[in-house]
Amino acid sequence: MYCIVHRQYIYLHYQTQKAMNAENVKSQMRKGTLEYCILLLLKKEPAYTSDIIQKLQEAKLIVVEGTLYPLLTRLKNSELLSYQWVESTQGPPRKYYKLTEKGELFLGELELAWQELNNTINHIRNN
Amino acid sequence: MKKTLTVNLGGTVFHIDEDAYELLDKYLSNLRIHFKKEEGSDEIMNDFEIRISELLNERIRMGYEVITLEQVEDVIKRMGKPEEIFGEETFTEEAKEEYKVKIETTAKRRLFRNPDDRILGGVSGGLAAYMGWDPTAVRIAWILLTFFQITIPIYIILWLIVPLANTAAEKLQMRGESVTIENIGKTVTDGFEKVSADVNDYINSGKPRTAMQKFGDGFVSVIGFIIKVLGVLIAIALLPPVLLVLFILVVVLFAIIIGLIGGGIGLLGGGVGAAFGGIMPFMDWNTIGTYPEGALIIATIASILAIGIPLVALGYLIGVQVFKWKAMAPSAKWVLLVLWLIALALTIVLGINYGLPVIDHHGWHWNSFHPLRRISFW
Repeated sequence: MYCIVHRQYIYLHYQTQKAMNAENVKSQMRKGTLEYCILLLLKKEPAYTSDIIQKLQEAKLIVVEGTLYPLLTRLKNSELLSYQWVESTQGPPRKYYKLTEKGELFLGELELAWQELNNTINHIRNN
Repeated sequence: MKKTLTVNLGGTVFHIDEDAYELLDKYLSNLRIHFKKEEGSDEIMNDFEIRISELLNERIRMGYEVITLEQVEDVIKRMGKPEEIFGEETFTEEAKEEYKVKIETTAKRRLFRNPDDRILGGVSGGLAAYMGWDPTAVRIAWILLTFFQITIPIYIILWLIVPLANTAAEKLQMRGESVTIENIGKTVTDGFEKVSADVNDYINSGKPRTAMQKFGDGFVSVIGFIIKVLGVLIAIALLPPVLLVLFILVVVLFAIIIGLIGGGIGLLGGGVGAAFGGIMPFMDWNTIGTYPEGALIIATIASILAIGIPLVALGYLIGVQVFKWKAMAPSAKWVLLVLWLIALALTIVLGINYGLPVIDHHGWHWNSFHPLRRISFW
């Protein structure tokens, strides 16, 4: 019995050491919602990559731009987003991203999940 | 005054300072290494290039004609240092493991000759870098070890078979530093100036060589060339009979095993005879039974190894070339080499001791067993 309790204790201890850092938890939360936020932004209106970056940086969701490019390519490869090359006023044509139908369905699922999460947290907080 | 380069970045032409170009190039290749495994890596890299070109274009419109190091640093700060990008990415556990393994395997040290720290062949410099010792101490050790006659041949063999570290990557490997994201990342983040200057030092190691060193270089390349030519000739000459010889060796080995089991000295003598037969055809095989048993066993095993190892190695080499066998592990090669050297030395010593003609009051004749009159190296 002692052994089991002790092992549990060690495990908890390990967990706390690993993650009991506010910054770490916050960054995990931001990471988890990043795809959701990108899809939300693009649902409102199609946008250039630079616009997406700007909005996410304003919202403090990403720190550096480099994080976004692989993410957008992954979303595009999963057919949640699509893009076309659009002429810009300055310089060569740029990618103009929009949400696909599949992306909208996916976003619907995420919205539900977010609602649930929100409810759960509110429930815990208020009781 | 600075030299500038012209680059095509995301479809736009830029004039860029040389140092700025190096930094940008390292940054991009660093990212490329990381994204290599990802689906659509070309597209991701293209996105990066296009964005960097946009950011640099803003500067150009502000009136700067040339991209400088500071501007590239600013851009990298905006795009994110490699570890920031990779840190924020959600790695799967699997990918993390893979990444770790990659770092570990590439950080493995390899023995090279060091072109930047050499007096003769760079063997000591390379060995020192490999083991983390002081090169001067290694050199002094070599000199002290010439007390043993085997030291100089070992040095020459190392000089011949250990490759010279030519590229910066090989030089990093020589010192056990990994040539991956980590180091290139380091180059980009903490003090590009320092590391890149360092790397340049390695690349431009054209220190003037003294006449003696030049002579040494020439000597080694001539010897190396001769050995290569001889190797090729021998390989061509031996190609047909190699299987036959191997077959004979197997038969001889079989005979020896039987001999050992039975303890029959006659069969052992037969083994020695078969092994020595090619070298000393005039040997008087009748006297062989009078030799000490231990020496005979050692001579038999040594001579078979001395002939057999090169043949097996040659056969294996042909197997690798022709039948696509897996190349031998480096450790196996070293063990075989050492074993072969020992066997060769024993064969020579025992062969001289027991195989040469002897002169005594009966005149000169082969192999008579008379320990006091034999030329002895023991």
